[in-house]
Amino acid sequence: MGEYNPTILQGQHTNDDEILAKTPLDPKALGGDSSVIIMELLQRFKVRDVMKRQVISISRKATLREAQSIMRENRISGLPVSENGRLYGLVSVNDIIKGLDGGWMNDACEDHMATNLVVLEAGMPLAFALRYFNNYTYGRFPVLDSNRQLVGIISQRDVMRALLYELSVEIRKLERKTRGGQEQESQSKEHYFRKEWAVVRNDLSRAGHAANDIKSLLRERKIDRTVVRRVAVAAYELEINICIHSHGGVMVLLISDDTVTITAKDRGPGIPDIEWACRDGTSTANDWIRSLGFGAGMGLSNSKRVSDEFDIQSEVGKFTKVQCVFRIPKAEG
Amino acid sequence: MSCEGRDGKGTEMTIADVVKILDGKLMAGDGTSPRAVGAVVANDLMSDVLLHDADDILLLTSLASDQAIRTAHIVGAMGVVVHNAKPLSETMIKVANDLGIPLVSSPLSKYDACVRLHDAFLAEERS
Amino acid sequence: MTVDEICAKVGGSVAVAVEGASAETVYVGDLLSDIMGHAGEDCALVTIQNHLNTIAVCTLVGCSVVVICHSRPVPPDMADGAKREDVAIVVTPMSQYEAALALSSLPPSGR
Repeated sequence: MGEYNPTILQGQHTNDDEILAKTPLDPKALGGDSSVIIMELLQRFKVRDVMKRQVISISRKATLREAQSIMRENRISGLPVSENGRLYGLVSVNDIIKGLDGGWMNDACEDHMATNLVVLEAGMPLAFALRYFNNYTYGRFPVLDSNRQLVGIISQRDVMRALLYELSVEIRKLERKTRGGQEQESQSKEHYFRKEWAVVRNDLSRAGHAANDIKSLLRERKIDRTVVRRVAVAAYELEINICIHSHGGVMVLLISDDTVTITAKDRGPGIPDIEWACRDGTSTANDWIRSLGFGAGMGLSNSKRVSDEFDIQSEVGKFTKVQCVFRIPKAEG
Repeated sequence: MSCEGRDGKGTEMTIADVVKILDGKLMAGDGTSPRAVGAVVANDLMSDVLLHDADDILLLTSLASDQAIRTAHIVGAMGVVVHNAKPLSETMIKVANDLGIPLVSSPLSKYDACVRLHDAFLAEERS
Repeated sequence: MTVDEICAKVGGSVAVAVEGASAETVYVGDLLSDIMGHAGEDCALVTIQNHLNTIAVCTLVGCSVVVICHSRPVPPDMADGAKREDVAIVVTPMSQYEAALALSSLPPSGR
């Protein structure tokens, strides 16, 4: 069980805070006998999986009036005060109300912001985070990473939303299991997770970033290691192809209960001879591409080799679409 | 090729050992990682690196680009060594830190590094 | 070391034979710019770049033996280029790492 230190931005740590930080949520605290699945989800998912990453913030010297306008435009009730990723405090709706009442709306935020804040760590499992929601009246918590940089903000609503979604996934899985073996033969290709990445032509500095993300995502979801390796290789090859051979396109990751699907689609120029392109060693790469270590002509054949199902379609002048499907071996029990 | 000793046991060489053996300098990533070298791959063509099935690859390369790191991440490599003291870009170092891949700069050529690593494996076996 | 000796050490086969070709040192590399920058004359180039460009680089560097690893096939235009420029090609099933060790009795190439 990990240990998390309570982080108070300023002000005293209390003994209660220490205990709070180190004890995960008691199943009974959720009301009655909480299911194993819920507890497992709360342990598996971290604050960073659920938090809002686009943190709207304001600088210390900005006025309360500016804070009010930002909060109104963005419809938020809590505005972190931060500069260069460092968190200094929080302005809430209450501070605005007091400001309007007291007539100091032109004062700097730093004069009125709350500084005795509780913040959460990005890597903290939700099981710990929920304790904070239960024990403090604050509606939201800023989230810091291990370098004490402000990386997100999390509210109870974010947690509930994510939990409900994941719970529905788990319930579907259970329903399928109870219906019996024959259900699993029918196309249970209902994907419960989808993510898309843009791939920019010739952007070699970013080339492969989608594949790296895909690999990290699959590892986090504890999908079978050998499957993850094969998916990562195929995704990388296909992404590089889009990058160096096409006008640009997208990588799509789809996860269902028993498959992982990678689709690489680009806007052209299309492949005139698909069979030739899929052969080992054949490549249209030019010298510049080769000088950077690419273009050995293995991309499509590699992807085909590692996937369980491989499909490629192309129309010259229009597009190329490659789809690789990987079967996830069934876990025992 | 995997680094099995004659009796089939794997090596215990970690990235910290590699830094020493190759007169290298750790430029990014966790130099204290306990992961041992599972296989040595000396290659500059990243698509070729992808063909290796081994776990815990130590990648020796002259390709000082983000691609070497990204490919290393895809195959679950335990470290990347860039040879001939080739200068490493800031983005390469950043990507290595972001993806958690130990990155070592060595003044040795790839050939010298191969020989030194092999000698070190043999020495380990004997001890 | 002659081509035949190199071939024997790496357990390979001679794809392009050149009378009298030999190597004094070894360079391992696949990036043509890197090879040009660091490989010395009279080296045996250990690589997987089974491409005509490799022969061009060999002529610039002054090496007369290429060892192609992982049994990569030598395309016809590369073989023709090699014959024209008197560059011998040996193909081995070994990886670059293994081939380097096999040839390690030779000193490293250097510039």
